[in-house]
Amino acid sequence: MVDSKQQWKAWLYLLPAIVLLLVFTVWPIINTVRMAFMEGYNGLAIVGGATFKFGIGNFAKVISFTSFKTSLYNTMLLCVLTVPISTFLALLIAVALNSIRPLQKTLQTIFFLPYVTNSIAIGMVFAAMFNIVGNMGTDGHDIIITAGIINNCIEFFGGEPINWINAGSSYWANITVMVVYIVWNALPFKILVLLGGLQSVNKQYYDAAKVDGTPRARVFTRITVPLLSPMLAYVIITGFIGGFKEYSSIVGIFGEDMGPAGAPRRLNTIVGYIYDALPKMNYGQASAAALILFAIIFVVTMINLQVSKKRVHY
Amino acid sequence: MTSTKRTIMNERNIQSVSVKQVIFLVLFKILVYAFLILMAVIVIFPFYWMVISSLKTLAEYRLSIPTFWPKQIMLSNYADAFTTASLGRLFLNTAYVGIVSTLLSLVITVLSAFAFARLEFKGKDAMFGALLATMMIPGELFTITNYATINTFGWMHTFKVLIFPFLVSVFYIYLLRQNFMQIPNELYLAAKVDGTSDLKYLWKVMIPMSLPTLISITILKMMGAWNSYVWPNLVANDDAHRMITNGLRNAFTDATGDVNFPVQMAAVAIVSAPLFLVFIFLRKYIMSGVSRSGIKG
Amino acid sequence: MKKRIAAILLTLTMLLGMVAMTGCGQTAKVNFVVPEGGYDGSAVTIYFDHTMGSNLRDVLDLYIKEFNKLYPNITVVHEQVGNYDDVRDNIAVELTVGNQPDIAYCYPDHVALYNISGRVITLDALIDSTVEVTRADGTTEILGLTDAQKADFIEGYYNEGKQFGDGLMYTLPLSKSTEVLYYNKTFFEANNLSVPNTWDELEALCKKIKEIDPNSIPLGYDSESNWFITMCEQQGSAYTSATGEHFLFDNEENRAFVKRFREWYKLGYITTQEILGSYTSELFKTADGTRSYMSIGSSAGATHQRPTKGADGKYPFDVGIATIPQVSADNKKVISQGPSICLFQSENPQETVAAWLFMKFLTTNVEFQAEFSMASGYVPVLKSVKDNAVYADFISKADGGDYISALSAKVCLDQESAYYTSPAFMGSSDARSAVGLLMQTCLVDPGTDVDAILDKAFKEAITTCREGN
Repeated sequence: MVDSKQQWKAWLYLLPAIVLLLVFTVWPIINTVRMAFMEGYNGLAIVGGATFKFGIGNFAKVISFTSFKTSLYNTMLLCVLTVPISTFLALLIAVALNSIRPLQKTLQTIFFLPYVTNSIAIGMVFAAMFNIVGNMGTDGHDIIITAGIINNCIEFFGGEPINWINAGSSYWANITVMVVYIVWNALPFKILVLLGGLQSVNKQYYDAAKVDGTPRARVFTRITVPLLSPMLAYVIITGFIGGFKEYSSIVGIFGEDMGPAGAPRRLNTIVGYIYDALPKMNYGQASAAALILFAIIFVVTMINLQVSKKRVHY
Repeated sequence: MTSTKRTIMNERNIQSVSVKQVIFLVLFKILVYAFLILMAVIVIFPFYWMVISSLKTLAEYRLSIPTFWPKQIMLSNYADAFTTASLGRLFLNTAYVGIVSTLLSLVITVLSAFAFARLEFKGKDAMFGALLATMMIPGELFTITNYATINTFGWMHTFKVLIFPFLVSVFYIYLLRQNFMQIPNELYLAAKVDGTSDLKYLWKVMIPMSLPTLISITILKMMGAWNSYVWPNLVANDDAHRMITNGLRNAFTDATGDVNFPVQMAAVAIVSAPLFLVFIFLRKYIMSGVSRSGIKG
Repeated sequence: MKKRIAAILLTLTMLLGMVAMTGCGQTAKVNFVVPEGGYDGSAVTIYFDHTMGSNLRDVLDLYIKEFNKLYPNITVVHEQVGNYDDVRDNIAVELTVGNQPDIAYCYPDHVALYNISGRVITLDALIDSTVEVTRADGTTEILGLTDAQKADFIEGYYNEGKQFGDGLMYTLPLSKSTEVLYYNKTFFEANNLSVPNTWDELEALCKKIKEIDPNSIPLGYDSESNWFITMCEQQGSAYTSATGEHFLFDNEENRAFVKRFREWYKLGYITTQEILGSYTSELFKTADGTRSYMSIGSSAGATHQRPTKGADGKYPFDVGIATIPQVSADNKKVISQGPSICLFQSENPQETVAAWLFMKFLTTNVEFQAEFSMASGYVPVLKSVKDNAVYADFISKADGGDYISALSAKVCLDQESAYYTSPAFMGSSDARSAVGLLMQTCLVDPGTDVDAILDKAFKEAITTCREGN
């Protein structure tokens, strides 16, 4: 029985949430689609009284742009590299943590630490660690004051220092730094979820395996991974979604230029591309790019879900 | 006779195997610990490096052979950092936005979750489903229009723009609704019979019973304000409204080159410190909230 | 059912057809007509957005008072909106919702952006207006600019206002800066070096300095973009055009100088702000380690090029200032930078006329120009300022220490015929940053196939510009 007083009250309670969601969530969804299909839609041109043709011109343009292609490539590359690496490492750490008693809590806390950080702030620490101070960049006249702690370590083991993030650094050096930072940043959440999963796994499976004398590696691939598969699917899916929205970790290390000195935007991502278009009021292209991003995330998530449907053992 | 002999032999066999196993097990444990400790060192190293760098003199920082403990502890770097990035103002701005948006968000979340969990109304399921559907869409898609919307409202460079657009979190509503649903309905009905008003019931029974979730939400929301960068950078990056992360990034625009790194690291440490404090004291709330959300902040 | 679908489709097509009327925002026509009688003395408030620091705001306030003696009913409200980019971003946003200011600081490329909205006032009608306006003190002035006023503007600065490809005037210069060569005078004198006038001389000089101090990087050039554009102007090679094909900078002449600078870079002769990671003045000011002995930077930043005083209260070295090196003495070119001001449409034409009167006051008042220049380190836009007693006194104190700003201003006064401005259009700032970037890339690229590096960088720069993002 629905009494009318409750009806009235329920809507009253929901009112603030609904109003805010309508303005800042629902309208944006509609408007983004609308703007994406108005060719050359620009916030300033409207004022000038311009009208816009309906069509897929924005999409065609955005896709044809090298700047967008670079962003797409970077985003995909970082996703493809960081999600498997961080998931695998997190799985190893979680399993290892689960198998020990002493120090477990302490180590667990340490592994969670990167989570409670500000990705811009700690990005600056990573930048400092990889940074070379005093390399004025003149060939053969490199005057290195400090090579940075990472290079110090490399030198300690007899390697050559690498120009990671400074002017003249290579694309792959930059990507390596980003992968290290993103993986470092992504570990805590994944470890937390996987460890939680492991701790809720029924001990009986392991006991049975012990009785059978199953080798550890086999226990890992045949018992641990299948039992953890729902959690693995979860961290992989959220990992991909997060990965496609990569932006602030790059700002943390490289600043708003999204690349080393001399090559700004080299590491730009789709989200960065969208933000770049805003101050120029290029709403049409920004919307098109945002919809493309949404489509990619949607498709990848669907694929992930399909795969996990087949593979995940509940 | 033979049979007893065989038994003894068997026992010996078992013993020797188990000795081997024990050795293997110990080695394995050592390996596991070594791996964990190595990873832990890697994870913790940036924090260590931040702190010791922030205490070094610029000259010491630039030594080609790094020192792992500052020779001379430069607390003045912290004072410099505070003034260089005018962190005081940034702290206040961020605290204001964080507190106001957390309070408002809590009120909205509690009311909505209550409506979904306890009240009956037409279209409830459809409404709830629609809300959950919006969680699928990446927030970046909203940004473009919200940027235009707040311009129309004339909210550019105000605190409003930092508080309102992302005030409602469907996820928090969902989380709290689940929590509210676990509270037996009998309590609510009994309260109604007693003539207790909804709000009083909410305040006296439901809120205390779901306090852990509310605390998680509070912490995550505050951390969100503390860590927010992208949106404030677009809409309120002026002196009067700048948030802490933006201020930090702006004050040290060059990521590389000839920067006073010790001071920069001191600033980073100051900005990171509150997060650590919260983490130390409220770890379990953060971890429980996080494991359910999968989203940072 | 089918009929209904058909009907819906038909309606949709019609709606789309209505939306599909194409239109391009850029309207290149005179968009302001002076109201009859000019300013009618009515009370109006005008809003002025700028980037002035507190010392400049004080000067401005002082002269607003002067202005109000003439026009007491015009209230000027002004606000500092962060830096130049902030002003641009803010105004672009404000234009979309119609709450833009009346006057604002601007750079040509900002105006090109604003012009998409068609809301920047073309000044031609105002400049040419001969309507008489009565002032509060009983005197009159014509609304427009007199011939003498027009002639008093330094030509290069004035012409910047009509760089938009349609021949119309959109901005007036307010205060300007340029690039000058700062050199370590003490070092130059000690080693008997002479200040270079041409790039060839500079190259030889760098070689000499490297012999004296192998650890040094003789020259730091702050702005890669300025360097590229100035080289185009000095050589007479193509850079950009406001009409037709905009991006013309990929040509053999330009590749040649980039190639040459790359060689210099590899020899350790030069560095730039982006490559160094900080203003090159930092390198110039340091007293030990790697340092530079010359620095090309903004004339308005003279005090930043001066080393800090030592414990004895003296500067560790004396700074000399000279004009930048040239390709040839016959075609001297040096960039002109610094804010101009523009007007925006408003619903009340009286507000616009009032804003124009204020704009005219700031740009043509010799006392204001003199004082503003002394406070800002920028150079005045009027020729007659140098005859102003206070300003002349300021210039006469010029030295390489305490009065370094005066020295810088003095050098600027000597080259008033050399200023150039680049065409402004939607995308001109993209071109500017693209060429700066291509300079950096070409200098630092570790590869060995120089032509391939150049080819790639130039092509990429052109692509970036065309994509406009």
